[in-house]
Amino acid sequence: MREVYVAGIGITSFSRLEYPLVEIAAYPGLMALRDSGLKKVDHLYVANMGGGRINGQTGLASAVVDHMSLTPAGAETIENGPASGASAIKQGYMAIASGMHDVVMVIGAERMREANPLEATDFVATLTHPQAEYIYGVTLPALAGMFTRLYMEKYGVTARHLAMVAVKNHKNAMDNFFAHLHEDITIEGILDSPEASTNNPYVADPLRFYDVCPVSDGGACLILATAEVMKKINKPMIRLAGIGQATDTHCVHERKDPTELLAVREAARQSFKMAGVKPSDVSVAELHDAFTILEIAESEEVGFFKKGEGHLALERGETQIGGKIPINPSGGLKAKGHPVGATGVGQAHEIVLQLRGEAGKRQVKNAKVGFTCNFGGFGNNVVCLTFIKE
Amino acid sequence: MELNIYAYKCKRCGELHYPYKTICKKCGENDHNEFDIVPLPKKGKLLTFTTLYTLPSDYEVVTLALGIVELEDGNRITGQLDIKNPKIGMKVNGKVEVVRKDLYKKHLGMIFYKA
Repeated sequence: MREVYVAGIGITSFSRLEYPLVEIAAYPGLMALRDSGLKKVDHLYVANMGGGRINGQTGLASAVVDHMSLTPAGAETIENGPASGASAIKQGYMAIASGMHDVVMVIGAERMREANPLEATDFVATLTHPQAEYIYGVTLPALAGMFTRLYMEKYGVTARHLAMVAVKNHKNAMDNFFAHLHEDITIEGILDSPEASTNNPYVADPLRFYDVCPVSDGGACLILATAEVMKKINKPMIRLAGIGQATDTHCVHERKDPTELLAVREAARQSFKMAGVKPSDVSVAELHDAFTILEIAESEEVGFFKKGEGHLALERGETQIGGKIPINPSGGLKAKGHPVGATGVGQAHEIVLQLRGEAGKRQVKNAKVGFTCNFGGFGNNVVCLTFIKE
Repeated sequence: MELNIYAYKCKRCGELHYPYKTICKKCGENDHNEFDIVPLPKKGKLLTFTTLYTLPSDYEVVTLALGIVELEDGNRITGQLDIKNPKIGMKVNGKVEVVRKDLYKKHLGMIFYKA
């Protein structure tokens, strides 16, 4: 198989965007073309989850390829729930590694805020099992709430630990121009003060407002290319070195131990094995913190910390920028935002910035190996990527 | 008539599935007629729960309590709770009732009460 490199990157703000879904996809694509200096691509993958349901736009990739005047390049839309982004990057990797294409553009785009919050929540809840979960009113926050309660009971994680994740990620997002939330929150404001229960009400007990990611619009793009193309364009050599993907039961109640995220464990293991690195080699990671508890649980499952000790590492500051393994320097889904289909590409965008040394104030020093975990459903479809700077 | 939620028991190995699967998760039996339909028990203990404050559009209540219950036979089910102060490990009894109404249909599911 051929090696695959990142030739160009682009991103929009993750926030409320008042322009059509097609343009939310096209602008980061345009930025990535400019970044790489390339004019044409052989193929386009667009990751998106809600176009058909929320924006009345199906066949998104066909619309985007024309909007960007990249026809007759092939184009496909990839829908894999909230893991669509990393799934599309995986497709791009396979297209190049197999020898089929030399330059592939991978875009993630979502416009969720066109729907009202009830519809947006309901749209994401359609990820759950239709007969065994959805009809009960189960949503993703509900599954996360039940997961959090078990985690607290079993491992001693407290509301304070969850708030620490939120504070850390909000702080990181302050230095990210493209982040959805630029709010420098404090533990006092969301947990300790008399106003905390007003500032930070319950969403799905024990999860509160500041434990949950915002509903965002946004797009991000990676252009992938062969080593030969990279020689012509004079860009840093960031190699997509490892990809892992695994699935788990659709219903959370069917898992033997519902506090285990086996798909995360397996996808991370595959990704590290393929890249030939260990979890301890990773210099910076973007984990899928749609809920604060997930950053803690995933940091354990991918192998950064022992099971049940992620919150202790968080307490010691090991996951801050400057710590042993900085997690979510971009602000994560929590503060950077979570445009579902675009999130996986957004995570990869941050890792490429970090490995290139272009992340500005939030730069992790000497970043050599970067890792992303893109978590679909409630952990029933997970894609992990490992990037290495050469 | 008493309403039930049904599990699917593999005729070859006896493994119970809830919800339904086309292929047995234990022995790989793949003739989809080879499952017996058996009612799930209604007694169990509460494994975990949450109170949801942001509800999907079909609900006209302010909060909704949801939980996962481990039933007597070891199977688990997700359901709604009608319990004042739920606790992990408490004993519960289920009833099949309307759990969601949309424009077209009433959906039946398990609601759990304190045993």
